[in-house]
Amino acid sequence: MTLLLIVLLPLVGALLPAWFIRWGRNQSALAAGVVTGTAFALLLSLSSSVFAGEVPRADWTWMSSIGLSLAFMADGLGYLFAFLILGIGLLVVLYARYYLSEKDPMGRFYAYLLLFMGAMLGVVLADNLIVLLVFWELTSLTSFLLIGYWKHLPEGRQGARMALVVTGGGGLAMLAGFILLGNIAGTYQLSEILQMGEVIQAHDLYAPMLVLVLIGAFTKSAQFPFHFWLPHAMAAPTPVSAYLHSATMVKAGVFLLARLFPALSGTELWFFLVTGAGAATLLFAAYVALTKHDLKGLLAYSTVSHLGMITVLFGIGTAAAAVVGIFHIMNHAAFKASLFMNAGIVDHETGTRDIRRLSGLWAAMPITGVLAIIAAAAMAGVPLFNGFLSKEMFFEQAWALEYQFVEGVPWLLPAIVTLAALFSVAYSIRLVWSVFFGPQAEDLPKPPHDPPFGMLLPVGILAALCIVVGIVPVLVAGPMLAVAATATIGIAPPEYSLTLWHGFNIPLLMTALAFVGGIVAYWKRWAIIGLHEGPLPFPEAKRIFDGTIDRLAAFSHGTTAALENGSLQRYLALLVGAAVVAMGWPFLTGSWSAGPGPGTPLDGMSLVVWAILVGAAVATAALHRRRILALVVVSVVGLMLALAFVHLSAPDLALTQLSVEVVTVVLLLLALHLLPKEGPSEDSIGRKARDVGLAVAAGCAVTAMAWVILTNPVDTISGFHLAESYPGGGGTNVVNVILVDFRGFDTFGEIIVLAIAGLGIYAMIDALGVPDRWKIGSPDDEVRYPLLLTVITRLLLPLALLVSMYLFLRGHNQPGGGFIAGLVTAVALILQYVASGIGWTTDRFVRDYHGAIALGVLAAGATGLGAWLFGYPFLTGWFDYFELPIIGEFELASAVLFDIGVYLTVVAGVLLMLVNMGKIRNASAAAPDAADGEG
Amino acid sequence: MDFLVMEMLVATGVGAMAGAGVYLVLRARTYSVILGLALLGYAANTFLFASGRLSVGLAPVISDDALAYPDPLPQALVLTAIVIGFAMIAFAVVLMLRAHADLGTDHVDGPGGAGR
Amino acid sequence: MLTFALTFGFTAMGLAMLLNIVRLVKGPDTVDRVTALDTLYINTIAVLMLVGIRIGSDIFFEAALLIAMMGFVGTVALAKHIRRGSIIE
Repeated sequence: MTLLLIVLLPLVGALLPAWFIRWGRNQSALAAGVVTGTAFALLLSLSSSVFAGEVPRADWTWMSSIGLSLAFMADGLGYLFAFLILGIGLLVVLYARYYLSEKDPMGRFYAYLLLFMGAMLGVVLADNLIVLLVFWELTSLTSFLLIGYWKHLPEGRQGARMALVVTGGGGLAMLAGFILLGNIAGTYQLSEILQMGEVIQAHDLYAPMLVLVLIGAFTKSAQFPFHFWLPHAMAAPTPVSAYLHSATMVKAGVFLLARLFPALSGTELWFFLVTGAGAATLLFAAYVALTKHDLKGLLAYSTVSHLGMITVLFGIGTAAAAVVGIFHIMNHAAFKASLFMNAGIVDHETGTRDIRRLSGLWAAMPITGVLAIIAAAAMAGVPLFNGFLSKEMFFEQAWALEYQFVEGVPWLLPAIVTLAALFSVAYSIRLVWSVFFGPQAEDLPKPPHDPPFGMLLPVGILAALCIVVGIVPVLVAGPMLAVAATATIGIAPPEYSLTLWHGFNIPLLMTALAFVGGIVAYWKRWAIIGLHEGPLPFPEAKRIFDGTIDRLAAFSHGTTAALENGSLQRYLALLVGAAVVAMGWPFLTGSWSAGPGPGTPLDGMSLVVWAILVGAAVATAALHRRRILALVVVSVVGLMLALAFVHLSAPDLALTQLSVEVVTVVLLLLALHLLPKEGPSEDSIGRKARDVGLAVAAGCAVTAMAWVILTNPVDTISGFHLAESYPGGGGTNVVNVILVDFRGFDTFGEIIVLAIAGLGIYAMIDALGVPDRWKIGSPDDEVRYPLLLTVITRLLLPLALLVSMYLFLRGHNQPGGGFIAGLVTAVALILQYVASGIGWTTDRFVRDYHGAIALGVLAAGATGLGAWLFGYPFLTGWFDYFELPIIGEFELASAVLFDIGVYLTVVAGVLLMLVNMGKIRNASAAAPDAADGEG
Repeated sequence: MDFLVMEMLVATGVGAMAGAGVYLVLRARTYSVILGLALLGYAANTFLFASGRLSVGLAPVISDDALAYPDPLPQALVLTAIVIGFAMIAFAVVLMLRAHADLGTDHVDGPGGAGR
Repeated sequence: MLTFALTFGFTAMGLAMLLNIVRLVKGPDTVDRVTALDTLYINTIAVLMLVGIRIGSDIFFEAALLIAMMGFVGTVALAKHIRRGSIIE
């Protein structure tokens, strides 16, 4: 539980600083500090068990079928990283309070920072590959927000976008790698995967899986050739850089190498990929760092270089090297965070970060200078500072290498390493000497002085750590290193010695070489910079990246434009074509074929009906431009369909089909009144041929599918409904009992859809202004309401309502029911509207169809809720039989109430649709009698 | 296999309605599209209904002297589908009127389609 | 006897429906077509009655009732549309 809290606290707590900013900047910073501090305290409360060798776990099964569980564990490695994330996070919160200016929205800054912190904690504490990946992508997203925090700076936005594309893209590759890994191991649980190193490395898919996972790790840790995003991310505010590029974001990549070390490391492929990328990064970035004039740019490349060094160590693949890697992660976090904050102080107090302009700051900023010297000395690897220890151990590992990059050249890696160390010494000297010593700079934008205490404190704490670890490493860093290393390797780590003096040996020689060479390189730095900026061709990563992105965007734009020309019919044709192919494929491959079939015998009448139906369907398509005729023909199709339903034992369907048919005709006539009566002839022959081809293909495919279904035996669940209809539902019409009882919930949803459609139509018509250019024609007949028609329909109304009631009441036991009765009532009322007009009918019948719809839905819903009163689930039916004098036995069923709801909704929905359409007319020719009608 | 059976009539009937529907929805004018939607609706309903297989002269009504029953479940599903299908068509019709009023045309085939 | 009568009835009604369709297709004007449709409705009532007699069941008679009613409403709507354009006003 504590583990989950540690992760969730920053994620949820991100709201607090954003909320507290309304009371002031201090309050906001304090809220962020309290959230981070609480999470830190929770983590420390786990210390005793972690240092005792236990692994606190938390596990919630999420989707067990695909091996997904929300699992966290705090082994030594996770604990170390969580410690760094929260510890340095606390210092960054303090530092940022003084760094951010009045204009910056501080609440948002802390909210982003906490979100990022939570995501990082999720990555390092996850015990499930998928959970790890989700948090991993979250770090990409939240770091995007942090890097682009200064939205007004174009470099900030571009840097953020580049970081997101590179690390997010790497995350996608990693997702594929993780799924492969999960399939190889048969589980996504990290702690189980780590035990299966041999199985995984022996698997055929090991190589592609490793490459994919490494792409994820390398993009995140800015390893060559994915390093280019990191320097551009320096457009972020310095607290962000200090946090992301010392202890967190970029360390996630090397964390992954450490995390999966037992499962993936030790093979030749691992060595070449990881050590190769690391060594290239190490040397290349160290060289570029010396040539940078921007303080943060120099630090960015030095970060890339140090990450390369850690990568090399994990790539070597031995337990001893991994221990050194872990140790350097700790050391690098301390001095690099301190240096970034230091650079931020210089920038903040002088107004510039350009090393060429800065000079002789010592006089004005002595404290800052001392702290910078300490951290830079640690970075260069000067004895008595923490960086020295891990660097010596690194030299030792590089010297004792098992594999060789190039056969017969065993000194290659040691040489690369020494050269990189040489540059490292040189840029460390440049960072301190060029900035703090020499003649005092004259033209600084601001007069420099030491910053407020709150800004110095975090830097001081980290600098102190560098010294303490450097002098008494066993005491301070020993226990943490021991548990983290044990967790990384999976077994007890081999003997290693955290002492300052190992005697005269090769690593010491390498160090000496690096220092002498580094001083020379610093002295001759302008020659190197001149070489870098001048004759050496140096590809500009940003330009390549932007070009690639532009080409991709142009490509997708072109593809979209080619596919999408704005013709809906064209998309539809593509869809239909695809559907036909998908339907036809199983027939061609033979996986679908006709069965024996019951072979229901034919009779002559069926053939006639069939012929009329098919002929009318085809005629509708052929005659569609003569619109009224097409409507008449389509209603013939509907009528024949109703006959077919009657013949094929579906009386309820026949009744519904008949009623809907008439309502549809009325609807389309209403629409035709407002549309041209003839469609234009505009289709080319080719277009018609294409569509006829598609239509024939679709018709054949549907026919084939229907034939296959009809001739194969069926396994139906209807036996239950037939058996339970009367004893369980109290009705003999099984279709109706299914509608109002067995599947009442579905029906409830459907009447709600009907209600929404009715209201949506009303809303659309309400705002429909008919332009006068439509010229709704002058009628042939001046008589609005012919007398004969009016009289007959008025006589018909009670009869029709009687039919409707009859169908409704018997619906539970015989064909009929709420839907059909509702449609019949609606048709009966529509007849009155047609014959006697909106005004007359509205005055005498329902005025408020909205209310009726609501009432219908509520009645059905209330029937369902009623079941709750008796302790049954929603919509449980109830019925009983009663004896009444004279009338005899009769039935009362809750289903009848439900059916009333259906009935009301259908009547009101249909009328709302049709009557409102009847009200559409030219604005200039408003009918006198319809103005006050309520729809 | 005997093809002169009721099953073949239903299958071809569904196919004819679906084919005509497809042809109509591929036209460029809203009214034709609506007709096509109606026909496609018929085809889909009949197809669903047919998934319960065919029977002649029965009724899904429980009675003592009934020898057999048709499958009631597809019938119940199709019954609501017919009503919802009407609601959908009505919605499409009003949408088409609205588009006609606001855009001044009932042409829906886009700038690259027929008739432009 | 009944079988013969039914066969004759079905044949006659089938023929009648086909003739309705002929009129519906030929026209020549819309009024002819609407009349054809109305007659088709009426003929289907007869068909349903015949089916009912053949299988000895009254379960389809409601359908016939509805066809009568719906046919009338449809015809009225079509007629009003032809005469006045607007059917609900």
